[in-house]
Amino acid sequence: MFKFKKKNLVYFAVVFSFSLILSSINPVLRIPLINTLKYPLIFLTLVKREIGGIIFYHRNLVQNENLKKEIDFLKQKLNAANENHLENVRLKNSLNFKQKSSFKVIAARVIARSLDSWSSVVIIDKGSDSGVKRYMPVISYLGLVGRVIDTTSTTSKIMLINDPNLSVSALVERSRQEGLISGALGAALIMKYLPKEADIKNDDAIITSGLTEAYPKGLLIGRVIDIRSELSGLMRYAVIKPAVNLSSIEEVLIIVQ
Amino acid sequence: MKLCSVGYFMRREIFLTIIFIFCLFQATLLDYFKIFGVKPDILLIILVLASLSFDLKWAVIFSLLCGVLKDSFSANIFGFYTLIFSLWGIFIVKLSKKITLDADYLYVALIAIIVIVNSIIMRLASVFLGHPVVSLGIFLRTSLVEAIYTALVSPLLFKYLR
Repeated sequence: MFKFKKKNLVYFAVVFSFSLILSSINPVLRIPLINTLKYPLIFLTLVKREIGGIIFYHRNLVQNENLKKEIDFLKQKLNAANENHLENVRLKNSLNFKQKSSFKVIAARVIARSLDSWSSVVIIDKGSDSGVKRYMPVISYLGLVGRVIDTTSTTSKIMLINDPNLSVSALVERSRQEGLISGALGAALIMKYLPKEADIKNDDAIITSGLTEAYPKGLLIGRVIDIRSELSGLMRYAVIKPAVNLSSIEEVLIIVQ
Repeated sequence: MKLCSVGYFMRREIFLTIIFIFCLFQATLLDYFKIFGVKPDILLIILVLASLSFDLKWAVIFSLLCGVLKDSFSANIFGFYTLIFSLWGIFIVKLSKKITLDADYLYVALIAIIVIVNSIIMRLASVFLGHPVVSLGIFLRTSLVEAIYTALVSPLLFKYLR
């Protein structure tokens, strides 16, 4: 269809070489680009929240009523939990148990998401200036969110756990059965490499195993919603509903220590 | 105001602004319009429009810019989109000289094909580079939904930006 004239070939070669060079220096371009776009992104995120409020007005109204009822219920629970907590502290002290140390975290706001449909990445408004470093685990108060894959001075890129490029060593909280969690770009996660006789059932809580140092042990990942056999019939895999709603996450916590 | 009613030089500045605005939209507001976890690729639509509206030099420049922006917000190790978008820019300019692309359904079909071919190249690149590859089911679902969704959105943008 296209005639390969000498001029065309030279032009194509020049553009291709330039693209290749630009591709290779792309990681260098990312930092100034994201830093430049940070403030418009923050502004648009605020606009997005307001538009979301208008679009989902009725849903929010119903949700608000339900939440008010839930708050009353939870207040009672909280009082009971406080009592239990105080009792727990007393018992721990008396038995000389070592108090489990809590994580040191940095709170950050999500300002943008990946542009393509093949990765699950969010950009947050905290970077290396705030102490964020590559490979730090990211959580929310509900459970594991993902991992820092890139940082600039004022922003960081987080790969969410539903990205196929991220794998997390996990175990079933009840039976201590180990498996590997990986993303499938959708709302659910897959727990792979479960033997046929694995002790796992629906609604089991899945937590990080702590086998690798990438994630602290015991972080909630999600709950089992389905268990299926692999095509080979040798292994099974579980479908996990993440504890955190990854599609609408707005604030995250980065574990720095 | 349609783009055809302003001067050629003014059009370039407008196009540059539109690319940045659309990039910001795609990173934020388009999340509300996700279907099966997929949002339309409006930067790709802009790329096609730029390639059909400008000469080869500017088509390549706009395509490169779209690619660089897309790479900046994704998790690719190298500039996959920077490379692939510039090649699409050249291809579309060359194609438009050989075939008359004046009917809307031709743009729609072209965009759908580009999205599918992009997905296939992406998958092949992942295999080649040894990256984890999504299952075939997820791949088919994502690429087909993205192709149809982007193609359906494109007439709307073409209508106002052409």
